[in-house]
Parts: sequence; C-alpha cells; structure tokens
Amino acid sequence: MKVGMQLNGRPVELECAPNEMLVEVLRREGLGSVRQTCGIGVCGACTVLVDGEPVSGCLTLAPQAAGRDVTTAEGLAGSDPVQRAFVESHAYQCGWCTPGFVLTAKALLGDNPDPDEAEIREAFGGNLCRCGSYVKIIDAVLRAAAELADGR
Amino acid sequence: MSAVGIDPRVTGAQRYAIDAERPGMLHAAFVRSPHPHARVLSVDACTVDSECVVLTPDDVADTHPYGCQVRDESVLTRVARHAGDIVAAVAAPTRTAAREAARRVEVAYEELPAIFDPVAAVAPGAPQLHPQGARSAGEAVSIGVRPLPATNVCHRFRLVHGDIAAGFAEAEVVVQQAFRTPSAAHAPMEPHAAVAEWNDGRLTIWTGTQTPFNLRADLAAAFGIAEDRIRIVSEIMGGSFGAKTFVRQEAVLAALARKARRPVKVVLDRIEEFVTLNRHPSVIRVRVGARRDGTLLAKELDCWVDTGAYADCGPGVATKLGYAGVGPYRIPHVRVDALAIYTNLPPNGAYRGYGAMQSVWASERTMDVLAERLDMSPLELRRRNLLREGDVFATGEVMHDVQFERCLQAAADAVDYEREPRGKGLCVLLKGMQTPSRAAITIERRAMGYAIRTAACEMGQGVHRSLRLMGAQMLGCEPGQIEIDQPDTDTSPFDTRTTSSRTTHMMGRALEAAVRNLRAGDGERGYGEIHNEGGLDPDTGQGVASTHWHQGAAAARVSVDEETGKLSIEHLHGVAYAGRVINPEGAALQNEGALLMGLGTALFEAIDFAEGQVTNANLSDYNLPAMGDLPVRFTHEIIEREGAEVHGLGETVLPPVPAAIGNALYSLGVDVPELPLSAERILAAVDARKERLAAYEPSAASTTSTARREIR
Repeated sequence: MKVGMQLNGRPVELECAPNEMLVEVLRREGLGSVRQTCGIGVCGACTVLVDGEPVSGCLTLAPQAAGRDVTTAEGLAGSDPVQRAFVESHAYQCGWCTPGFVLTAKALLGDNPDPDEAEIREAFGGNLCRCGSYVKIIDAVLRAAAELADGR
Repeated sequence: MSAVGIDPRVTGAQRYAIDAERPGMLHAAFVRSPHPHARVLSVDACTVDSECVVLTPDDVADTHPYGCQVRDESVLTRVARHAGDIVAAVAAPTRTAAREAARRVEVAYEELPAIFDPVAAVAPGAPQLHPQGARSAGEAVSIGVRPLPATNVCHRFRLVHGDIAAGFAEAEVVVQQAFRTPSAAHAPMEPHAAVAEWNDGRLTIWTGTQTPFNLRADLAAAFGIAEDRIRIVSEIMGGSFGAKTFVRQEAVLAALARKARRPVKVVLDRIEEFVTLNRHPSVIRVRVGARRDGTLLAKELDCWVDTGAYADCGPGVATKLGYAGVGPYRIPHVRVDALAIYTNLPPNGAYRGYGAMQSVWASERTMDVLAERLDMSPLELRRRNLLREGDVFATGEVMHDVQFERCLQAAADAVDYEREPRGKGLCVLLKGMQTPSRAAITIERRAMGYAIRTAACEMGQGVHRSLRLMGAQMLGCEPGQIEIDQPDTDTSPFDTRTTSSRTTHMMGRALEAAVRNLRAGDGERGYGEIHNEGGLDPDTGQGVASTHWHQGAAAARVSVDEETGKLSIEHLHGVAYAGRVINPEGAALQNEGALLMGLGTALFEAIDFAEGQVTNANLSDYNLPAMGDLPVRFTHEIIEREGAEVHGLGETVLPPVPAAIGNALYSLGVDVPELPLSAERILAAVDARKERLAAYEPSAASTTSTARREIR
C-alpha cells in the first residue's frame, strides 16, 4: 500500500505493507537516524515526531502516519537550537540515542519552554542512553531552553 | 559554534556497523538451540524456499576450532552448550524472509544434562561441557592458560605471596564472608551487526568490533587461511562496553557468505543480544586476617568465575578478577585461587571493568566487616594499609605513580565521611591494564594537515577525538586538520585491541613516537610503536600484572525504607585518577557513564535464568539506568598530577560503585552479600538483622549500636 505524509517538510508517498512499522519504512527511505533498538517502545532510539508529538517508530504502524506531519532528526537540518545545545553541552558519546533525545527535547520545549530538572527527567522517561550521558543531556536541554528564551 | 551541523551524531547522519551494505547482499538469520545442552542429531531444511541458503554443520566440516584464549568454539556447533547456541544459519533476500526460513529449519536434538552454577560445575560428577579438554589458543593469548583436565575448569589462576598459614596464625582478628554477583547485559544500544563478503578466496568483514586484529587471527584459524587473506573493517559502534570483542557473529556469517557466494549481512535482534555475550557471574569467598591495630596480615580469595558455554576471554577475566581482589593494600601474606568455569549459560566475556567489579565488590565489602570487628573507621582501616609509592604489590611488582590515598580521601570528603559515616560507604579500586600489549600508529602528511592510521576503534568513548587533540598539540596544527579513518586491518598498523582503557595511554605514546619519527625523517611520514612488557605467571601470580594502574574510588550516601526495602541513593561520587587529561569533556562523559553503569550494576541489573533460559531478554524486564535513576546528587572528579603520563579512565569508576553502596547499607546494619541490591534482598537482610537482635536480647527494641556491632 501507499501512505502519504508530510516527511521532514515535504509531501511523500511511501510504499509499505499494512503491518509494517514506521521505523522500517523510514529507514528504507534512508533516514538512518531512526534506529530500531529495543523493539518494544522503551528506549526511544527510534523516536520521531508525529504532528509534533514524540512517538516510538517501532510501535507505530506506518499507515498510522498517513496524513500526518512526520519529523526525524534529519529534518532539523543541524541548525536547530536544540541540536546546537547538544553539541555545546557535549551531550552524547556514541550518538546512537541522540536523535531520539533531540526530538524529545524539541517536543518538551514546545510544550514547556522553561522546564525544571524534575520535568526534564519526567519527559525523558522513554529515552535510554547506555553510555550514560544524562547529566550533559539535562544540561543541553536547560541550555536550549535558555537560548530559545533569549531568542524570543 | 563551528561544530554545529557537522557533528553527525546530532544531525542523525552518523552511520554504524548496522548501516553497512554491499551490492547484492543477502540477510542472515540464525537457528538457535532451545536447549541449554544438547547434541544436534539432524538439521532438516527441506521446507525452506530454494532462494534461501541454509548453512548446516556439514557445510563447515573443513573449518577448525577457534577461540581467543581457548580453542573451544566451532563455526557451527554439533553440540549446543547453551540455550541460544547457533546450530544452523540461513541467508535470504530480506531479513524477514531469513527469519521465516530459519523458523522452518527443523533440528532434532538429543538433550544432555546441563549445569548452571559455577560451584556445582566443579563438583565431581558434574556434566562436562568440553570433555576433549581445553586447548590454549597459543600465541594469541597474553596469559598462560591453565585448564584442569577432565573438569569444567578452563583456567585456574593462582597467586601466592608470603606464607598464608603463618599470616593467619599471626592474625588477631579474622573475618570471612562469601559474595555473589549475577550475569549482566552490556546492552549497547546498537546490536551486533556485520556484513561478510568473499572475493577470490579473500574474506572482508565490515563489523562493529573492538578487536579487529584478534578477530582476524581467530577467523584465520577457523577457516585455515593466512591472516592476510582476511580484511576486517571496524565500523563505528553504537556502544559496546566489551560486548563487541573477539569472534561473535562474524565466523558463522563468513561461512554463510562463503556458501551463498554473495555478501551476507546480519543484525541481531535484541533477544539474541542476551545470549551472545554477557558478564561473568561469580561467587567469591574472602578471608582476611589483621592485627588488633588494623594492620592487614593475610588475605585469601577463592573465586568461582562462570564463563558460560565457551571460554572466550574468561581466563583473562578470572586472572584480573583474582589480582584486583587483593586490593590496593600492603598485605604480607596472600593466596588467590580463581577458576574460570564452563557452565551451560551463554558465554561471558569482557565487560567494562573486566572482572574487577566482582572481586572488588567482595573484597571491599569484607573490609567494612573487618573494620566493624576492629571497632575502627572503615576509612582509617583502608588508609592504614593502602599501597604507597614504591611499595611491593602481591604480584611482586613495585608500585609507581600511586594515588590510591588521594582517590579514597577525595571520595570520603565528597560525602563528608569523617564527620558522619552512618548511611555512607566507601570503596577504593586497583585495576590493571592489558599487559603485555602493543600499539602502533602512522602519520602521513597531507595537503590540509595529517592523516593518522590506527586500529583504535571508536565506540563512543571518543578515542579519535583524543588522538586528534594529542596529535594537534604534538604537530602544531588544529585538531580538525587531522584525518582518522576507521580501523582496517589492511591499512591500519597493528594494535592489540581497543579494550582495557589502554588506548589513550598506549596509542598516545605510540603517537609521540610517530611524531618523533616524522620529525627525524622527511616530515612526510612517521611510524610509532609501543610495547608494554610483562604478564603474570598463572601458577604463582608473580610478575608484572600491569605497567600502568587504574586507580579510583567511590562514595555513596544512602537511605533505606525498612518497611519496603526501597533503597534511595542520596549521593554517589566517583573518583578516577587520570594522570593527565587530554579531552576534558570526553573524560567527564566517560567517568559519568562508568559511574552510572556501576549504579545499574549495584541496584538492578541482572540477567535472570530459569534452567539456562534467559527470562528477561528485553529492555523492559532488563532495566538499564534511565535519567530518572540519577541519584539526587551524582558527582565525580578526575584527579590529575603535574607531569604525569596519560592514564586510561573508561572503566575506573564502575567497579567501586556496588561496594560503596553495599558498605553504606552495611553501615545501617543491612548486610546484603549478593548483587543487585534489590528490595527483596534488602528486606531479607533487615529481617535477618532483626532475628539476630532478637536472639541476642529478647527485648531488642532499644539495642545499642555496640550490641549490634558485636552480634552481627
């Protein structure tokens, strides 16, 4: 079947099976930042934004994205304040989980432009970093919030 | 900031082993034994689609046993020695088709008696996993392997220092206790993945590996071809922590590609990760004797180290576990006996800390038991016995650049231990680095700067950034002017492996030598090679364990809800001695990451088995530390010394964390001898303490701390 969606800002029609997960379809499109990891929606490494909300690509059927606005890390073009904050805070080691954290941070700051540390911990309950870079990730989110506030 | 837009980790452009592709490649799926110990009677693939390629043991009859320390593994086994052992493999045009085909392969088994406990596995009459006996892999091993014939022991490491009987005879106080640690998952976010391809009898493998040259040597042995007929390209890894070492998925994948005459790719499922390589479970019995004034006189360690179905680097782990358990102390009489033991669990191998966590957990918990018996501060007991510059360690080597006291004091100060030790715990660590080993590197002049060739593998620890920073300083250029390609055994000079927190230290020194060579020559090309010589006699533990010591400490402040067993970590502090820091941000990340992995080890990480079957093989039932698990205070420090050489620090603060937390619990009268420190175990320890108190004095409600101390 074909599924139409807005993918990283451009309209696309993606070929997929009705029971295929979004992570597989997006990877086939060459979006390598979406990474199948736990397969059960607990680690957040396949996070994508669907209409601005972070969802696990391994738990979302590709047809569920029909007509939606889907954003992956590739769609942020490297110039997003959140990405900049992650670089400046050195908030990653191997980088595998980083796109998922960046997208979750985008969604968090969209809902709550001035989160405190407890709110950040809560928001990232579904993102795991086995390298253990959480201290710097919290720093990056606070930095991004400050930069976004300055820019307003 | 200029790095924005070009760091591929933040844009999602970073590629890993999982992204490797070759034209015309097929996808592999493995057929795994459901039984923990069973003979393969037949493999029937007649219902598998003809477009699929099925590899059975008959297809690899020409291959040879291999193994990094003991040659006990086959490309496809005819005897499954753990649930999940690979007995056949399938290649198909898609991953889905391969999985479907693998399900259609019917394997008939004859089940064999199995054993899952390392202590039981050395008892007379235990089922034997490798009755043909363990054969050393020879020159690829850096330690002498000492199997015990006709047993499940693939290696016995002994250390003898002084006269242990005389030491205990002289001791005024002796304590003894046994401790256990469970299996654990490395759980790198990226699973094991590789692509194998043959061209004119030459094999190329693109894989996530920390050990490209060891992998090449093992595959050469397995396929009976010269090492230069094999090329290993080590792709960037999405984490490893020891999981991607030696031969994992690569041998069977290469055999499958050989039969298919096409490139074949494999990516393991998460469930397969739990039967691929785990951490050694252990049972460790510690006996320590001291004078009344706290002077340590004698220490005995008996260690049962469960290496699972295959030795892998279990002999090396048992060795390092054995001498790390002596601890950074002056002890005149020491005896260590560490056995690497086969059981029918999945193979266990290198895991961040390499055995040190297990024995340090046991040893450093025992120090607090001894301190209590002596009515002495655990900090003071340690300080009184710590190794100092120029002291002789139990291995007979003279200690140099000794910083244990600084590390321990820094940890104690972080939690204000001297003012109030209750609810707090300390641990100090001595850990060796791979010795002997060798590292080589080349530098070539380029139009825009330099190119460095090295087999140092990148898995998130930032080794290439550290080499760029060091190179820039030595060569007088910007780090961005130095190119570093991924390791490739065809073009990278030899390096023992990227393990043991050795790379920044060893490769950094090789780089210095290469820069000197470049300057002495034509300025176009430089080569540097560094050897660290040494090693231990496996029968006496004497020699040079390490040319360079990893030194660290941890401190914890905790509280316990004695009704529910809930343990709260109020403050965790890790201290690593770094000598000289090259990459401050990277060092901080490594230290925090190791500290957090130590926290997971202490609090909840354990692979659960039922009759050899993993019962929590997913990231929901097997918990990894999440952001919400960060303790209220989570701090660390990196100690430097003017003029010191560079020390590795990728592992240092992991091993001391469980004992620091366990000792903090012990200071509250909660004695848990087994990891992880679950609510159930804490409740059991609370109940046991209440029973002891009741036995001591029926109306124990108002027991004094002195009474508690005496009866524990």
